[in-house]
Amino acid sequence: MLYDLRRADARIKWLVTCLLATFGLSYIFGALMVSLYAGFTPARVAATYAGPEMSMPMPPETTMVVNRPMSMTDFAKPEVHAVDTNLLIQDTHVHVPMYGLIAGALGVVVLGLSVPRAWAFGLITLLFAAPWLDFAGMWLTKFVSPRFAILTLLGGWAMGAGYLVVTALAIYQMWRSPKGAEP
Amino acid sequence: MSWLIRAALVAALLHITPAVVLVKRPDAVQALLPGAEAYFAREVHLSGADAHRLHEVVDWSPEDGVLAFYTGRSGSTTVGALEFVRVDTPHGPIEVAVGFKPDGRVRGVIVTKATVEMKPWVLEAVTGGLTDQYRDLKSGDTPAGAAALAGRTGNLAVYIAGEVDKGVTRALAAYGAFYNHVRT
Repeated sequence: MLYDLRRADARIKWLVTCLLATFGLSYIFGALMVSLYAGFTPARVAATYAGPEMSMPMPPETTMVVNRPMSMTDFAKPEVHAVDTNLLIQDTHVHVPMYGLIAGALGVVVLGLSVPRAWAFGLITLLFAAPWLDFAGMWLTKFVSPRFAILTLLGGWAMGAGYLVVTALAIYQMWRSPKGAEP
Repeated sequence: MSWLIRAALVAALLHITPAVVLVKRPDAVQALLPGAEAYFAREVHLSGADAHRLHEVVDWSPEDGVLAFYTGRSGSTTVGALEFVRVDTPHGPIEVAVGFKPDGRVRGVIVTKATVEMKPWVLEAVTGGLTDQYRDLKSGDTPAGAAALAGRTGNLAVYIAGEVDKGVTRALAAYGAFYNHVRT
């Protein structure tokens, strides 16, 4: 195949390196944002996406009051960030096209790697399947069962893993392997 | 290529920016229930009929049909009560804390949360004297923060004042109808 990152012009290698570095930076902040708003455990993801729509509490027949003492620390407890259906529609609309473009860009990097065809197919599939899993998990958590939160976590980790594998291979093959180091 | 640029622009415009805490809840509680030594949550679980009645009045239903009031006491004396009310706007949610004195009049209003985008609008409105407009209002009064700021601040500060007005209206209606009028 003509497109081989190991033998590519240094300017192309630099472009790919900058692209991967930029994606890496955005992934770091993406992970920080997830830790702030959804968390990394199935329980927290389920609380974020399943929300009250899953439980649908029935109103009492007559209005009733429950009194309980509060401490100042109760006021300081973090609230669960809930994503309702409207927000999830918007998030899906905004994020999925962008994830597609990122997967496409990383897929183009994969095409320039010197790896067996089966590996390349596998990596490209992983790059696109990860965001599908991520968002499928969110929708299934909301409308089917909170247990599907695990899919969102798997999707998120798969996105990170796909990026790391592609980046490690690309950086090594472009700058460190004997053929890649040739001018 | 132009559709890509247009799509990115639309996505950017529609994307709600992350929430930011302007005033921490414990700080708002201390400011609106000054001198309180003990706090109590009074959760009013609305019946379908009462929830409908509230919705008819202020076009709003509390989350899960539960109104949460927080009462502060110093010894056996009630210092007052407060509510945290969320208002959903096209730019994301804001949260307004409304404190009441024992006579039912508003002691103060604090905007506790907004989004990154709305934060400067909120700060401009508050600096322009927005929260002073709500002092001593009572159930049945109509908040007019936006009208008071019109012409004195920027349009976006006036816009946010209108959203805070909605939050205060909801708090006044909920407090007036359900704080003292439901048996425990």
